[in-house]
Amino acid sequence: MLAVAGVSGSLGRAALLVGLVGAVFGMFASVMGTRQHDEKVLRLVPRFATLCVIATVGAFVCMEYAMITRDFSLAYIQKVGSKSTPALYNFTAVWSALEGSILMWMLILAVCTVIIAWKYRNRLIDPLVGWAMATMFFVCTFFFILTLGPANPFGKGAAGVLDGPGPNPLLQNHILVLFHPPILYVGYVGMTIPFAFAIGALITGRLGEGWLLETRRWALFSWGFLTFGIILGGWWSYEVLGWSGVWAWDPVENASFIPWLTGTAYIHSVLVQERRGMLRVWNLSLLIATFSLTILGTFLTRSGVLNSVHAFSDSDIGPYLLTFFGVIVLVSVGLIGWRGEKLRSPGTIDSPISREGAFLANNVLFGVFAFVVLLGTVFPLIVEALQNRQLIVGEPFFDQLATPIGITLLVLMCIAPVLPWRKASGELLRQRLFWPAWAGIAAVVMSLGVGAVGLAPLLTFTLGGFAAGAALRQLALATRRQGLRGLVGRANGGMVVHIGVIIIAVALAASNSYTRSQEITLTVGKPAQYGGHSFEFVRFVEEKDDRRISVKAEIIVDGGGTYAPAIQKFTNMGQNIGTPSVKSMFTKDIYLTLQPPVKVSTDTAKIKVFIKPLMMWLWIGGGLMGVGTVLAAFPGSRRKPTDPVSAPIAQEASV
Amino acid sequence: MMSALSKKLKAWPVWMLMGILVVALLAVGAGRQSGPLTQEDRIDNVTQRLACPTCDGESVYVSQAPASQNIRNEVARQVASGQRTDDEIVAFIESSFGGQVLLVPRATGLDALIWVLPIAVLVCCTAGLALTFRRWKREQGGQASDADRALVAQLLELDTDPTDSL
Repeated sequence: MLAVAGVSGSLGRAALLVGLVGAVFGMFASVMGTRQHDEKVLRLVPRFATLCVIATVGAFVCMEYAMITRDFSLAYIQKVGSKSTPALYNFTAVWSALEGSILMWMLILAVCTVIIAWKYRNRLIDPLVGWAMATMFFVCTFFFILTLGPANPFGKGAAGVLDGPGPNPLLQNHILVLFHPPILYVGYVGMTIPFAFAIGALITGRLGEGWLLETRRWALFSWGFLTFGIILGGWWSYEVLGWSGVWAWDPVENASFIPWLTGTAYIHSVLVQERRGMLRVWNLSLLIATFSLTILGTFLTRSGVLNSVHAFSDSDIGPYLLTFFGVIVLVSVGLIGWRGEKLRSPGTIDSPISREGAFLANNVLFGVFAFVVLLGTVFPLIVEALQNRQLIVGEPFFDQLATPIGITLLVLMCIAPVLPWRKASGELLRQRLFWPAWAGIAAVVMSLGVGAVGLAPLLTFTLGGFAAGAALRQLALATRRQGLRGLVGRANGGMVVHIGVIIIAVALAASNSYTRSQEITLTVGKPAQYGGHSFEFVRFVEEKDDRRISVKAEIIVDGGGTYAPAIQKFTNMGQNIGTPSVKSMFTKDIYLTLQPPVKVSTDTAKIKVFIKPLMMWLWIGGGLMGVGTVLAAFPGSRRKPTDPVSAPIAQEASV
Repeated sequence: MMSALSKKLKAWPVWMLMGILVVALLAVGAGRQSGPLTQEDRIDNVTQRLACPTCDGESVYVSQAPASQNIRNEVARQVASGQRTDDEIVAFIESSFGGQVLLVPRATGLDALIWVLPIAVLVCCTAGLALTFRRWKREQGGQASDADRALVAQLLELDTDPTDSL
């Protein structure tokens, strides 16, 4: 395992060793410099960060070089490399298995570390920054150890191997393999930055006023990438997996969703801290939970204890990740116990019917949601440990619990945006919610008009209309006051995100509840009808190259465009991969898959047709969430970012 | 300022009417038939509740593995024969294929925990939040205890001397 081979193997491993040294020295420099207030030592910190990033980029380049030159002396290349993989998928093959994806994690982490070190280089004398840097380097050190030990990408392979199987067929089938994993990883790894500042705040026992905003912005940045990565993952699943779904509550999907939930809780409740100076310890705990859940998720899905479509082969990375998770949790809990009292703020929240109250309710719901997903993910492990029997917790369980939680969150999204800080009267709510409520009524009337049935989807449409009304009301008021600037800032950008979320909720409710499907056997020259659409089979097209045989069935939909669902057989893997073909419209998608067995010599093809309403709106809603996140990241016009905001509020207002 | 008409429009009675309207509309929508399910729809519904025996955590509906294909074919046969309901088909598949084919944990024994724990956590969190609000309310109320009033009065008395001299 530890032996290396080839020039790129040796160089890559050497680079990782240099990086480890850089990270360890960086950590010591941060700690020593901070403890002794030694500016000279602290000035070294950014340089060690630079050393780490150069080393990691070097290692990554070595890996890519080995992959591109098909250096089969490396075990990793033997596992995921193949002479027949096209250049693009060969490039992405670097992160198609465990060792390479940990290397990518390391690369992003090193880049984050160097950005933080240089951005705040003039403020390193602030102990909060010093301790945050030490935390960043500590996490770096751990990941360098992973890449040098249990997840060594440069291990020497068996002698005499001249070709490999290439990456998993699903990872050489769609361009999204280039985007989804790195973007998701930026989201995961980015959560290290707010975590580091949270640890810094706990150790120094103060929250340096400006740092709250910086931390919030980094958390929002990571949250945005995590959101975008998750949505891209759903899109990929839809385009590639052939069951016409975007989300299967697979353990790896859950592992990305759980930190997303706690991160979402944080970006809401941090606003209470900005405005009222309260919930400081709670917010720090949410940041710590988010980061440690990314590590726990990585442990659950990458150590082989749980399996899923995303799972890589077994490795001995598990104990390392579990230990790291344990250390983070113990240290954080210890720090909160030690310093928490010092950070606690004196104020109180006056009334549950207030903006603050709504944020707390939001936190309860997101917390419970995260717990449900985590429980469902690890429950098979618990049952196996206690009763030594296999159990599967699948989609229906998660759907049953996610639906009521989602609907409750929608209720909150209806009311919360119009709530004032501190206290709201019933009369005020009746006034402000009047037109949004009518938007909800309009939505239910419209849904009934187009034939919607079922309580849960109709409730979603009604509340969706209501919540969208509340968000639009907020945006309309803000733009009336401030023009286009009324779209910028955390509250207003947040409303744009809300609208995106509502669109996604409506699209999910419609597509989950009203998808209809039918298997049809088509014969050339005899168009068939299903769901008001016609399907005419034209011919099979067979394509062959070194790595795969692909059979496409060309089908004319509604007498117009030609769609070609395919089945591919990857010769190295012997696995059949279906590739769907989708006609997207604003109201619905027509999703076609070719069903095995395919007999190319005949003139009949069996296809499965899914008619899925409103699917396109999932991606539109996702795009809107992205736009809203960017708008929210810009400071609003109300307050300069340097103003102190978390000073205790004078008490007289609450009497 | 708000006009009197607008104020009247947005008062309780109108809200009550709106609530009744929504409930009525939802009842209409929840009650009406969605049109007959095709056999394919029923097959999809049933296979979504069954686990693929050879893959990891996928449903038969999602999976493309041959073992899932077998189960799907069996479900299709059962649906086509029209003898059994969806629940009965699931039970039949469970008994004839053996092993772990259910995707939803039962509500008995240890497995019941997966249903009980989320509710317990929700109740605990909500109760915790409610208690915190009560504490906050008490803290606000506590500012005017008798001892506080006495202290304030005492200080005010001390305060009178300098103001008199001004």
